Amino acid sequence: MNTVKSNPFHFKVGLFVAFSLLLLGAFLVYLLHARGFFEDTYRLKLAAATADGVAPGVPLVFSGIEIGSVSALGLNDNGGIVINIELLERNAKWLKQSSTFTLDKPIVGGAKIRVDSPDLKANPLPDNSTMLLLTSDISKEIPVLVERVKAILANVEHLTRKDGEIVATLANVQTVTGRMTGEYGVLEGVLGSPEKAQALTDSLDKTRDLITRLDGLALKMDGMAAKTDTWLFAEDGMAAQTKASMIQVRAMLDDAQSSLKKADALMANAVEISSDVKEGTQDIARLRAEIDEAVRRANALVNEINKKWPFARDPEVKLP
Amino acid sequence: MVAQDDGVARVALELPLRANLTAVDNIALIPLYQRHFDAAESTRQARAMLDALGYGDIAALRDPDMTPAQRFVTQLARALMLKRPRLIIDRPGAMLYDVPYPAFIAQLAARPEIDGTWEIYDFDWNLALYPQ
Amino acid sequence: MNFLAASIESLGARFVGWFGVGYGLFAFAGRAALLLLDRSTWNRATYDVVIKQVYFTAVQILHVFLGYALVISWLLITIILSTAREFGLTEFATEMTIRVLVLELLPFLTALFIALRSGSAINTEVALMRVNNELDALAHCKVPPMQFEFLPRLIGGVISVVVLAALAGLLALLLAYLSIYGLTMAGFDAFTQTVAKIFDFRIVAGLVIKCALFGLAVTLIPVVSGLETPKKLFMVPVSVLRGMMRVFFAIVAIEVLSLALKYI
Repeated sequence: MNTVKSNPFHFKVGLFVAFSLLLLGAFLVYLLHARGFFEDTYRLKLAAATADGVAPGVPLVFSGIEIGSVSALGLNDNGGIVINIELLERNAKWLKQSSTFTLDKPIVGGAKIRVDSPDLKANPLPDNSTMLLLTSDISKEIPVLVERVKAILANVEHLTRKDGEIVATLANVQTVTGRMTGEYGVLEGVLGSPEKAQALTDSLDKTRDLITRLDGLALKMDGMAAKTDTWLFAEDGMAAQTKASMIQVRAMLDDAQSSLKKADALMANAVEISSDVKEGTQDIARLRAEIDEAVRRANALVNEINKKWPFARDPEVKLP
Repeated sequence: MVAQDDGVARVALELPLRANLTAVDNIALIPLYQRHFDAAESTRQARAMLDALGYGDIAALRDPDMTPAQRFVTQLARALMLKRPRLIIDRPGAMLYDVPYPAFIAQLAARPEIDGTWEIYDFDWNLALYPQ
Repeated sequence: MNFLAASIESLGARFVGWFGVGYGLFAFAGRAALLLLDRSTWNRATYDVVIKQVYFTAVQILHVFLGYALVISWLLITIILSTAREFGLTEFATEMTIRVLVLELLPFLTALFIALRSGSAINTEVALMRVNNELDALAHCKVPPMQFEFLPRLIGGVISVVVLAALAGLLALLLAYLSIYGLTMAGFDAFTQTVAKIFDFRIVAGLVIKCALFGLAVTLIPVVSGLETPKKLFMVPVSVLRGMMRVFFAIVAIEVLSLALKYI
């Protein structure tokens, strides 16, 4: 009797329990799948100059969808910030070698790290690779950079102005050349061989070439500084600069500036040397070396700026 | 009043049945929880006890559905199931108000499967009801 | 001065009273837990009573409960979504919905539901058992009522609240997905990501523990309150109202504690 009576209970409770267990089991499997229990974790390191606004849990967002999050952050030996990001294997396909990582700090809501992969056919980013974290509030950085570049340009301009030393030198060289019968005139005589004289004029040509390039760059930068909307650049990928690379650019600009200053001084010296040729084969050789050095550094600078500024992307950026 | 001790099983008005259990379940509690038989065996023993008293048909009834006589039989079966040396029926008149209870109890006691002696505590003004 | 002394005395009495209630509850829970470890508890009869309790506490009201959960979830999801759209915070709507509904509100409402329906019934039944001497009769037969009366109710309560809250939560998840993304699979990845972010191990374990505590509170407190009833029939309603007040306080306390542990 007892068993007969409780049968409907048993059946209904059994049905209820089985149904619930099935649903909960399905949800558990779904949850494990969602949390990546069945797949490997993909790790990514981001290098940044500052961890301002970044904390564990800050999401990594691709096209508005969260695909991973910051698991930890710490300092490396050089005082740079290393941000560890973990994401699921299935989400790693959105990360390409050409991807950029930008720290977004919207006015409403928490900070997030945005991934932009302009070319989805590019090579995938390998596990555990290190990328630069750019910051989107470049508006603070642009004026500084522009000031720096302007200072150099002023300096270069100083060299090239109508009554400047280089022009004078060139004029001087020309006059001397005109007076002399040899192709390189006095210089050839001074330097002892046509090759050496050629080298010097080449250097001067290179300097002039550099000056025009720097001028062009200055125009670009001025144009950009005029546009004040930060995200306008960001959308074009133009202002995708990190504080880290800013620091690097600044350092190189400083370097170039001092080199050019030195060149400037030597140019001034060169005028005297040209007028007093007997004095210094040694000095002229040093002048040439210095100018070459300056040109090399300035060229590197222009290339670097071109690379980091919007016109090209370089995934192999060195860490600060 | 009789002192509650381990040697005595009482049938009394103030020891009612568990209201939401059937007669057989009420009785089966004892082998189940005292002697640790399993549920089927306990139910079988309880049913056998009710059959022995001649009331096998009330097994599925609950307390509110029973007549006073059926309720008394179930309580008695429960007391018998305790298997204690003494069995006391405390004031049967309070429980068996719908039957001539001395004869009813005597009839139950006379059933062949039941052994042991039962003590009946009753008010002395009811003494006249008992034949012996 | 007399007034002050009297106030302090009444405060002390109240405190001692509450302490006594709390002690009684925990002592009872302790005895129940010890019995759980006893092998003799686990027989067919106890199992049957547990099944019966689960039936009466959960299965019998399943359709009513799910309907109620559906309405509450739908209302709240709609409110959250429209507010989020208005303020341009749609991206947080999913997370907000899940956190508010699945983690907090639905377990709480489930506990209240079970407390109102089964907790009050248990309290009344135990109080009546006590007033009617049924417990004395069981004591005379040396049958411990804990194993077949109280423990199954506690187990049934815990199972019921956990399962019902889980079912309501799943329903709310489904409803949230449909409200946000409609009948497409388009948002599945984003939704999965949000779910994965919210339900880490700590949260899931905390949710289950919270629901289990709710289930314990809505059955244990009525049982203990019923057992404390004086043997007078007119005290049964008093016992029930006291028990239900304590259940309410306990549910709120568990909720506050869980929130504090989660967010502070």
